[in-house]
Amino acid sequence: MFGYVRAPAEGLDEAGKARYRAAYCGLCHALSERCGPLARLTLNYDFTLLAMLFAPAEPEWCDRRCLVRPFRRRRCCGRCPGFDLAAEESVILFWRKLADDVADRGFFAGLPARFAMWGLRGAYRKAARARPDFDARVREHLDCLRGLEAANCPSMDRAADAFARILRAAVPAGLEQNRARALGELLYHLGRWIYLVDAWDDLADDRRRGGYNPLLARFDGRPEEHLDEVRATLAHSARLCQAAFQLEDFGVWTPVLESILYMGLPGVQTEVLAAAGGSNRGKRPRIRRETDERPLQDPGDRAGGQR
Amino acid sequence: MNDPYKTLGIEPGASDEEIKRAYRELARKYHPDNYQNNPLADLAEEKMKEINEAYDALTRQRSGGGGGYSSGYSAGYASQSAGGYQYQRQSAGSAEYARVRQLINAGQLDQADALLQGSGPKTAEYYFLAGSIAYRRGWLDEARQNYAMACQMDPGNMEYRQALNLMQQGGYAYRPNHMGAGCDPCTAYLCCSLCTPWGGPCC
Repeated sequence: MFGYVRAPAEGLDEAGKARYRAAYCGLCHALSERCGPLARLTLNYDFTLLAMLFAPAEPEWCDRRCLVRPFRRRRCCGRCPGFDLAAEESVILFWRKLADDVADRGFFAGLPARFAMWGLRGAYRKAARARPDFDARVREHLDCLRGLEAANCPSMDRAADAFARILRAAVPAGLEQNRARALGELLYHLGRWIYLVDAWDDLADDRRRGGYNPLLARFDGRPEEHLDEVRATLAHSARLCQAAFQLEDFGVWTPVLESILYMGLPGVQTEVLAAAGGSNRGKRPRIRRETDERPLQDPGDRAGGQR
Repeated sequence: MNDPYKTLGIEPGASDEEIKRAYRELARKYHPDNYQNNPLADLAEEKMKEINEAYDALTRQRSGGGGGYSSGYSAGYASQSAGGYQYQRQSAGSAEYARVRQLINAGQLDQADALLQGSGPKTAEYYFLAGSIAYRRGWLDEARQNYAMACQMDPGNMEYRQALNLMQQGGYAYRPNHMGAGCDPCTAYLCCSLCTPWGGPCC
């Protein structure tokens, strides 16, 4: 479920890459400060998007050391309520994803998730205490999703809706109404897109395990024969994200967000849809979530301050 | 009213050509076709109104207070955006369908759905409205299926056909020039040049 939302390195100039990196580092520090050092393990580029959406248009910058690079300061986005919120919501989402994995898998297959939950329980408690409403809504929507999965729901929209509502619930309370609406729509369709891309990516696994997959349920086990429909509905959700994005000002984050929404999503979609189906069905390796493992090249510490 | 230069994203010393270029880009961004049946269509319309007013103010200012060529610009978009982009057409079916359309426009989707479910035989308009409710909810696959059924039952209805085309093409969205802009509405509407405020191609 994680790793699909990323900016392609070739879609950003040096200043854009530096800002993306500064947001990533800023979120890492926020995770540690709000939820404890182990919360840094939940850091990824998907949650960095949340942080950039919630951050001020003109943030403060700072230079900080970290565990990964203790001898060299790096330019980071400074502490702000948007990053704190993104950090806490990230931990809650990550924890709930682990809980879902534990519930879905057998005892032995679920052991890594159980171990990770044990390590993150302190971080989760802090995050849930800070954002009890968000935690409750995530739990409620995941329960709804589990019910739909158990009933083998044939509507991919309804299953995706339960997941998409989770991301919509991430919009901070107290935001100006129009901005909240635009962000809600953006995150709803981003959630729908992520859920369905992940469903396509999981086709082989779900066939093998006999697990629920919204695309298998919707297309009678043969979604590959409906590739055009899947492609169109994914592209449509991505475009609705873009349309919502254009209605608000995101200041210095605009080039990075544009790169994610206009290049990253279509690129990942093409990669995932091309890799599935055909003769590789059932044998295809999952797409490489490269940004999680190999972050963008650091363009230099100072470039993050450029505007 | 806001500073018109700020609204158009230009410096106060900008040339007439720069003003026109900035206006065109923003008009392309908030074009009603990009927000057809979109729950955020009202926000895009508001933005369109703001940039029309800003452009009007600047052109009036620069032509010594006269209306000049600006008056036609805002009129063009105002009439278009108030038209067929919401469910404001006369319902061909029962009064219940007309009420369902009103509820969809007001964003009261659960009420619209409940009323539609109890509205009697399933006609082409029933499926069209069911598709519209699904679309507003973000249920794009169910919307496409319902629009397809409406088109199958009433193949000559342009409203249904247009809705289905939107789904089959995967929607429209503005794409900034530096992101390799194409113009989706152009593809769909064969660049309806008369609809643009400047009376030319929209991109």
